[in-house]
Amino acid sequence: MYLELNGVSKTYNGRVHALDGVSFAVERGQFVSVIGPSGAGKTTLVRLLNGSERCDAGQIVLDGAHLENARGGALRAIQKRLGTIYQDFALVENVSALQNVLNAALPDMGALPALAGSFGRQRRQQALGLLERVGLAGKADEPVRELSGGQKQRVAIARALMRSPALLLADEPVASLDPVTGRQILELMKDIQRTEGVTVLMNSHNLDFARQFSDRLIGLNGGRLVYDGPADADEDTLAAVYAGKAAP
Amino acid sequence: MSRRRLPRWAIVLAGLALFFLAARFTGCDLALLWERRGHLTDILGQMFPPDWKFLPRVLSPLWATVQMSVTGTVLGSLFALALAPLCAANLSAPPALRVLLRALVQLARTFPALILALAATFLFGIGPFAGTAAITVYTFAIMTRLTCDDAQSASTAAYRALLAMGTPPYRAFFRAVFPGVASTYLTNALYLLETNVRHSAILGYVGAGGVGLLLNEKISWREYSRVGMILLGLFLAVCLIESLSAWLTGLVTGRRRSSPALRRIIVVALAALFLFCTATVGAPDFSRASLRTVRAMLAGLVRPDWAFFFQTDAGGLGWLLLETVCIALAGTAIGAVISLPLAILGSGRIMPRPVALLGRTVCMAIRSVPFLVYGLIFIRATGPGAFTGVLTVALCSVGLLSKRFIQAIDTVDLRAELALAAMGATRLARIRHALLPQLAPAFGAAVLYRFDVNIRDASVLGLVGAGGIGAPLVFAMNHYNWPTAGAICIGLVVLVWLIDLLSARLQGGAKA
Ligand SMILES: Nc1ncnc2c1ncn2[C@@H]1O[C@H](COP(=O)(O)OP(=O)(O)O)[C@@H](O)[C@H]1O
Ligand SMILES: [Mg+2]
Repeated sequence: MYLELNGVSKTYNGRVHALDGVSFAVERGQFVSVIGPSGAGKTTLVRLLNGSERCDAGQIVLDGAHLENARGGALRAIQKRLGTIYQDFALVENVSALQNVLNAALPDMGALPALAGSFGRQRRQQALGLLERVGLAGKADEPVRELSGGQKQRVAIARALMRSPALLLADEPVASLDPVTGRQILELMKDIQRTEGVTVLMNSHNLDFARQFSDRLIGLNGGRLVYDGPADADEDTLAAVYAGKAAP
Repeated sequence: MSRRRLPRWAIVLAGLALFFLAARFTGCDLALLWERRGHLTDILGQMFPPDWKFLPRVLSPLWATVQMSVTGTVLGSLFALALAPLCAANLSAPPALRVLLRALVQLARTFPALILALAATFLFGIGPFAGTAAITVYTFAIMTRLTCDDAQSASTAAYRALLAMGTPPYRAFFRAVFPGVASTYLTNALYLLETNVRHSAILGYVGAGGVGLLLNEKISWREYSRVGMILLGLFLAVCLIESLSAWLTGLVTGRRRSSPALRRIIVVALAALFLFCTATVGAPDFSRASLRTVRAMLAGLVRPDWAFFFQTDAGGLGWLLLETVCIALAGTAIGAVISLPLAILGSGRIMPRPVALLGRTVCMAIRSVPFLVYGLIFIRATGPGAFTGVLTVALCSVGLLSKRFIQAIDTVDLRAELALAAMGATRLARIRHALLPQLAPAFGAAVLYRFDVNIRDASVLGLVGAGGIGAPLVFAMNHYNWPTAGAICIGLVVLVWLIDLLSARLQGGAKA
């Protein structure tokens, strides 16, 4: 298995059980959607998976590396193999799209070239190629603040791809976009998963999108895993996820 | 959280009462000033025309002054930038380090540049190196505070995204947070460059280089035409630096368009200027410094003269600090009242162009004169004592506040004023009802900030006999009386800290 979670728990402030004994495994190349109501623990799951936060109990194994007790350099080595995109894009608004994509190369560079922003021809070429890949060929030098929401998410995807990630995490990537733009973004992600063989784990509270684009659904409610199964399950089963009842 | 608001009349009344108390305490006597105005006009009359033959003697110390401020501002700002990510609470620095750094910065922020310079002369000897060190520390403290506050209110989404990809925090800060605060950072640094020229101009009083020594000498020998020459030189230097700074600020904030090539040329030119200034500062002279001095200085801070610290009668620390606060309070209030009409006169948006230009030039002339010079001149009319201090602080505040006020007026939204004009309201009515209400918060913030700085300035006025804590402090330092100096420093730290709390309170109240 490519990604394995074993009894993963996370508590905030000693009382909010954001995740409570969650276990599941994902095969390489799968498109998995995590569904569930607000507060179910979806964002927490992504934060644990990309090492932004540490779980209190359980194990997270990513391609053989244990994330739960990695620190410092070891943690960064795992993080370098991940790409994450966010609902609010998490881009540097007042620099260009190209610079934002290039930022993904920072972990691989020396401190001085990184601070000076000299990325080299090859990386620039690669970043320009990725911007073209996500459909932003003419926008490389545009400041991000002047792009539309959909274009911003495309820049964020290009930045994630710049790391050539084996796992692409997405936290509600289309929740701040209109439905048409949202569908285009998901089509792009689906295409990347198919052609590049990237494993995708996406949070969503849009059930229609989740069912249409993923191979498999994982349902969370109140921090617990309440569903793990095919994406074409019937409506009633999935409605139970939102109601907080474990599906049979 | 709801805070009970005091009625406005109560705030105004309290402010007035405070002002009159401070004025009483410092012995303000405008009748006396009026009676002796002849002394002042005499001195002014002797200053102009200035002694042009003296010009060659002025150039070299004037250059040293500019040099100290350029090098000090750049170095201080760079250090501040390097440490800012460590003291912003929303970034991932260790909390213990952050608290320590904040405390150090707060400590350094307490002391006026002149006191830092005096301390520096004990370590680096007499000369511009000590002055440069003082300006560096002074700039560092202010810039660290400002940059931290900016970084703290900036969005960290992109920063966290970069961390999640395995980017080390320092790099993530410079690539993801700094671009958002860069223009404020540069604007602040440029503003400090302007004020640092004025600070550098007085450092010579304590032997830390620049034009101050010469100025002091010529004033005490009453060679006023030469004083006039020095002041004219300073005025031109300040003009030059302020216009350069205004031009660069325009570029930085994007109000002025520029091509990448032009920007590159500017960066290279500024870097060259900085390197030239730094390379020619002159080496420190360690002959006066010794480990014993340093240890004695630190011992004075750790084991201050507590008897003096807690002495409550006139001449005790509490009394001197109170006098310093009163000087700053009365001086700031008088300065603010005078600045208001001056700023309106100097604003090109309200007044016809020639009037505005004249108003601006007067403001610039007022603020190009180092404040100790005002002290030395006022003393001829009103004699030594706190009243001279009040007048000095007031005049300085006029120069600096009027500039801030003009900036506020120049950026305010004029639609309400135009609407009143269309209804045929008089100019005065338009200013009163359309402009002042919109400007009040910016003016209030400027006055509070000025009060904060004036406390520091007032704490060195004693150097020229104009009251406050400065005289005993400098006296103690020059006589190696470190326990007394330590007690005064601790007193200043506590005072500035209290005023900071109060001003944060007031500012919060003004925003609410
Ligand atoms: N940093 C935090 N501090 C305290 N509580 C948090 C924090 N982050 C999330 N929570 C709580 O954890 C629970 C799960 O949150 P989250 O993972 O954001 O849910 P979702 O993304 O599914 O809406 C919620 O009850 C939320 O209030
Ligand atoms: Mg969420």
